[in-house]
Amino acid sequence: MSSSEDPREKLSDAPRHRRTYRELHDGREPFFPNFLLKEWIIGAMFIVGFLIWVLLNKVGLGSIANPNDSSYIPVPDWYFLFLYQALKYYPGNGEVFGAFLVPVIVTLLLIFLPWIDWSKNRRPFKRPLATASMVLVIIMMSWLTAEAWAQHQAEVGGSAAGGSSSSTSGLPFAVQHPTSTALMATSMPGYQLFENTCAGCHGQNLEGSVGPELRGIGNVASSSQLLPVITKGFPPNMPPGGGLTNKSQLQQIADWLSQQKQK
Amino acid sequence: MIKRTYDWIDERLNITPLWRDIADHEVPAHVNPATKMSAFVYCFGGLTFLIIVTQILSGMFLSMYYVPDINNAYYSVQYITNQVLLGNVVRGMHFWGASLTIIMVFLHMLRVFFTGAYKAPRELNWVVGVLLFFIVLAFGFTGYLLPWDQKAYWATSVGAQIAEQVPILGPYIRLLLVGGSTVGALTLTRFFAIHVFFLPAALLVLLGAHFLMIRKAGIAGPM
Repeated sequence: MSSSEDPREKLSDAPRHRRTYRELHDGREPFFPNFLLKEWIIGAMFIVGFLIWVLLNKVGLGSIANPNDSSYIPVPDWYFLFLYQALKYYPGNGEVFGAFLVPVIVTLLLIFLPWIDWSKNRRPFKRPLATASMVLVIIMMSWLTAEAWAQHQAEVGGSAAGGSSSSTSGLPFAVQHPTSTALMATSMPGYQLFENTCAGCHGQNLEGSVGPELRGIGNVASSSQLLPVITKGFPPNMPPGGGLTNKSQLQQIADWLSQQKQK
Repeated sequence: MIKRTYDWIDERLNITPLWRDIADHEVPAHVNPATKMSAFVYCFGGLTFLIIVTQILSGMFLSMYYVPDINNAYYSVQYITNQVLLGNVVRGMHFWGASLTIIMVFLHMLRVFFTGAYKAPRELNWVVGVLLFFIVLAFGFTGYLLPWDQKAYWATSVGAQIAEQVPILGPYIRLLLVGGSTVGALTLTRFFAIHVFFLPAALLVLLGAHFLMIRKAGIAGPM
């Protein structure tokens, strides 16, 4: 249909009153540009919201992969947590069942859904079995995800769950949050030791993650004050000496931290 | 000038029918959020595509700096985060976009499920959609390793261990994934290749099929 034949496109008989949407036409409209512009309004809000989230939530980087550190407690990304958690309920040989049979069955059910739920009925309440199963699956996935996360947090040391701000409790020194973030005295031997041993929890740049932020720690504590705190640690969250036992290495870390006088 | 250029191309290649077909097909009122606000649930698919486009773009920019080998991967990500202009924003987009893609795919799938839109004659599009869902999950799994930090390394190790549980084929699947006895240099390069070449190719082909099938079978009618 070309635009000259299409009565909807005529501008000459524009009415004096505002016609309702249904009067105007049956609600169908061309994909481009009419519909796409409207969808783009939603898309633009979506993108703006996404960018605001991105700007407010900086992505961190843990310490570099260390294949020898088997003490690291692994965790998959959040969308695999439900699967990870489900596997925990199949002990021993049951893992074959959990890791293979159940996922394969669920995958096949999902792929062949149109032939399983084959009736013409589309309304969710007219096909209660399909609807109820999906609701059940959503509830189970949410529960497994929450459970996996709770268990993981308990494993890495419960109180550290909320990031740097909530994990400062227990620190004997009142650390300010300095505006300057540059590391100081990075040529000292303690710096490398810190990056290798402590940065996983306290951050590559002392910004803190599981453990508290340590920027400006040198303003409030001297090397001799820091050494006993590091040596003792905060079990179970931080092992004594952060896992190090060599006294001179601990001294080097304390010396380096006491130089971190960011304002 | 623009019109003359267009006409010149159109005379030779007859491109007008191609885009007019896309532009003129009519979209029914029940999926139009301007008609009824609640119709925004029908936008989930489009929003999924939009976020996938941003993933492709941010990924392209990240690949300008990222180095897929075990000595440099971590430091290149660190460099992107701390040194590159807006590097942390682009990495943030790719990182959070990954989660958002999963969420949007899931929501889109729930919408299709609860409106019964997968029923005849749209069964094949549902199948392609489920395949796309698994492709997106594979993107998530392979991309998670690339920063090569502790979290990435150990998550992949556990993932490989789980894959090994599959009867008979398990050890082979693990070898195919890991490329050696432990997660290491070979794993990182193949995860990178899968993440930036294999999966995008599959994704684009399946997305093309997905969209073509929507046009062929039409949007499911109102409830």
